[in-house]
Amino acid sequence: MGTVLRTIAGYVLLLLTVRVLSRRPGGQLTLYEFVIVFLIGGTVIAATVGDDHSVTNCSMAIITVGLLHRAVSWGKERSSRFAAVIDGTPLVLIRRGEWQNATLRHAHVDAQDIMAAARAKGIASVREIEYAILERNGSISLLVHRGPPE
Amino acid sequence: MTLPWTKPARERVSKIDDEVAVGEDLRFQQAWWRFERSVWIFFVLLLALDLAGVFGRGPVANAEARSADGAVDLRYERIERSGTPSVMTVSLAANAVQSPDTAELFVSESIVGALGARRIIPQPAATRVTANGLTYRFPIGGAPARVRIELEPSTPGVFAFELGVPGRPPLRARVLVVP
Repeated sequence: MGTVLRTIAGYVLLLLTVRVLSRRPGGQLTLYEFVIVFLIGGTVIAATVGDDHSVTNCSMAIITVGLLHRAVSWGKERSSRFAAVIDGTPLVLIRRGEWQNATLRHAHVDAQDIMAAARAKGIASVREIEYAILERNGSISLLVHRGPPE
Repeated sequence: MTLPWTKPARERVSKIDDEVAVGEDLRFQQAWWRFERSVWIFFVLLLALDLAGVFGRGPVANAEARSADGAVDLRYERIERSGTPSVMTVSLAANAVQSPDTAELFVSESIVGALGARRIIPQPAATRVTANGLTYRFPIGGAPARVRIELEPSTPGVFAFELGVPGRPPLRARVLVVP
């Protein structure tokens, strides 16, 4: 009983903490983000199972996490607003060739991140980009001008 | 051909500039960024309270109490954490010592039960079950005598306890055990 409640509390707290951390542009973990993943993960495990390391207790914690994950997925399918709360929404960083400075600032994305994504797609200059979109998984999608750049 | 269990794909994601289907919801995002900021402020506040000991293990949690007749001095943590060890120190003054080499200490059942007394130092020479608690007898080398009770509460809650020297007014206090 205690393990199930602690697991639910740990899941909700972890979800909130990870969610309020900004999305990492590029969609991949850097080394210092690995530190966060391991440290938070280890801390939550210790608080969740406590000093009961039995197979039964650990199984209950795993099953609880699985069910919570399934419940969150179900909620995301049913409600686009809930999905936005859990995953956020895509953000337009460049719109019709113009930087969206307020969005860039809030999303903690800079020109370097966008140009890194551009180079990966063979785009040499920002002037070729018509739209840059920060996706929910942290990757940056780029749409180039259909005509020649101005 | 449209089969009965299929339907034509329609635009379900909102567009920007009427041409790119992105699904951006800037109004929601702005509200979320405000929420994010308040969550971080809340987290910092929580950490500050934790450092102060509001959730145990800090200056706010440490407490001292003295019985009405001054026979018993108690140092304990008024805020404990469940599953976490702590120490309660009882000092018995000269007027609390029954004989030159023996002292008795009564502790309520809640110290042994809810607050999870694990060990008592020094080891009592004898333990007597009394109404609502236990009375320990310790061999001592003189006053003041100091007794340490190691606690490890297992469940959260507010627990009242009392302890003292038999025949004298007991010392009463409460402990908040946080999860």
